Amino acid sequence: MKTVAEFIAYFNIQVPTGFPSPAMDYLEERIDLNKVFIQHPFSTFIVECSGDSMINAFIPHKAKLIVDRSLTPKNGDIVLAVVNGEFTVKFLKKNDYNCFLVPANSKYNELKITPEMNMQVWGVVTNIITDTSDVRKCML
Amino acid sequence: MYALVDCNNFYCSCERVFNPTLENRPVIVLSNNDGCAIARSEEAKALGIVMGTPLFMIQDLIQKKDIAVFSSNYTLYGDLSERVMNTIGSFVPRMEMYSIDEAFLDFHDMSYTDLLQLGITMKSTVKQNIGIPVTIGIAPTKTLAKMANRYAKKKRKEVGVFWAANKELIHEMLLYTQVGDIWGIGQQYTLFLKRHGIHTAFDLSKAPEEWIRVNMSVVGQRLLNELNGIPSIEWEFETPAKKNICTSRSFGNLLTDKNIIKEAICNHAAACALKLRKQKSCCRIVHVFINTNPHKTEEAQYSRSINVEPETATNNSSEIIKHASKGFDIIFKEGYRYMKCGVIVNDLIPEDEIQHSMFDCANRPKDKIIMNALDSINKSLGKEIVRFAVQGFEKKFRLKSEWLSPSYTTNINHILKVKI
Repeated sequence: MKTVAEFIAYFNIQVPTGFPSPAMDYLEERIDLNKVFIQHPFSTFIVECSGDSMINAFIPHKAKLIVDRSLTPKNGDIVLAVVNGEFTVKFLKKNDYNCFLVPANSKYNELKITPEMNMQVWGVVTNIITDTSDVRKCML
Repeated sequence: MYALVDCNNFYCSCERVFNPTLENRPVIVLSNNDGCAIARSEEAKALGIVMGTPLFMIQDLIQKKDIAVFSSNYTLYGDLSERVMNTIGSFVPRMEMYSIDEAFLDFHDMSYTDLLQLGITMKSTVKQNIGIPVTIGIAPTKTLAKMANRYAKKKRKEVGVFWAANKELIHEMLLYTQVGDIWGIGQQYTLFLKRHGIHTAFDLSKAPEEWIRVNMSVVGQRLLNELNGIPSIEWEFETPAKKNICTSRSFGNLLTDKNIIKEAICNHAAACALKLRKQKSCCRIVHVFINTNPHKTEEAQYSRSINVEPETATNNSSEIIKHASKGFDIIFKEGYRYMKCGVIVNDLIPEDEIQHSMFDCANRPKDKIIMNALDSINKSLGKEIVRFAVQGFEKKFRLKSEWLSPSYTTNINHILKVKI
């Protein structure tokens, strides 16, 4: 339980002598982005990208991705995958017969996963964090 | 039923999570100061690298077999450990963290559950969610659970889970386990038991109770009960407050300069003070020690320690640093090449039971506010952002950690970089 005094310190409200703040009874915790964007904190990791192969999926150079390992990758998810020991971020496209890693930039080709390739999904990308200045750079 | 969950080659597995090229490659993690191998992947074990092998002895092998070498990154291991423990904890009502990579689970009130299946689910969940492989042993007592875990590693490798669910399975496991491999049996007892014809855990479980009590005291009797499926070791859900706290490190290189060593002492003292505040204790004795390298027999040797007693028990960084450096000034002698120094705070009492000295002139309530502020700033902005000037900045004494991996999960500048 927080005492009233702690709340005042926390919200840094100047309390006028005489009349207490009418907001006092309505104070709630501030929005916590961790809670909003991270459903499973114990299986969530943050990684940073470089490169433009996912530019049309709103992932510019230097974007940070929130990756949740506990989710089962579905067709159409953006995933952090490991192909032959190398990390990459791509759309996962799969049906009953085939599996592809698909970039979001026409300059790059999609990669068909063959049985002899060692491909694993490390985690599913749930959110993209970008600096607006990095977005501006790729609009030029 | 009890279960013991153990992370396989934990430190090596942690490095592998963020570095997939290490898969199927021998990996070793070195002790503090890059001294010797303290964790080995299965591939490294297969090359004959035993626990504690000094690095310099395997330099050739590292080259020849392309062994990946890492300095220990406890920041990373600590965070992944917390993730693993919390993930496991979500499956059971109670658990006890036994070490950084092991936990006992309480499987009571789960008599109608297929525990083997539960174990397999837990194992695959931890592997998927964090990327760490674990082994699980399930049995009627803690000692047997520990044994079942070992048995799973040796005999149920593909599954990684062993449930000693009935008499036959327990029997099989007891026969397989040598007395020296039982949890809690040291070298002395191993030799003693073997001399008396007791070779396996099964032999021990059949030993007469009276004989065990006479020769191995109550500890032996408790062990006997445990082996026979009667739980006799209590749960320890909360780690008891420590009786003393030690912070000491070997230097990266042998040192002669008094100021640099003093800086190390001050840093160790500050670390002790922080640990004291974390467990809400105060110390009545500050013990300081320094020594040269006893293995360099050709060099002049010196080693000394001293106790400094504050007038009033304290956990204030500035006071503990003051006492430690006072002690250091007394014991330090010029002209030696020092290898190690440390600070131990002793005779601990709870923070709220301090006897104040009549002549104590410190303003304790005010000091406490300052320390709280210091701790909360350092907690939110980063370790040692605010520190005492005597702690210095250069840390010339610091440990060798040449092959340290990034702190992928705790420092935003160290997060995994992916080329896409």
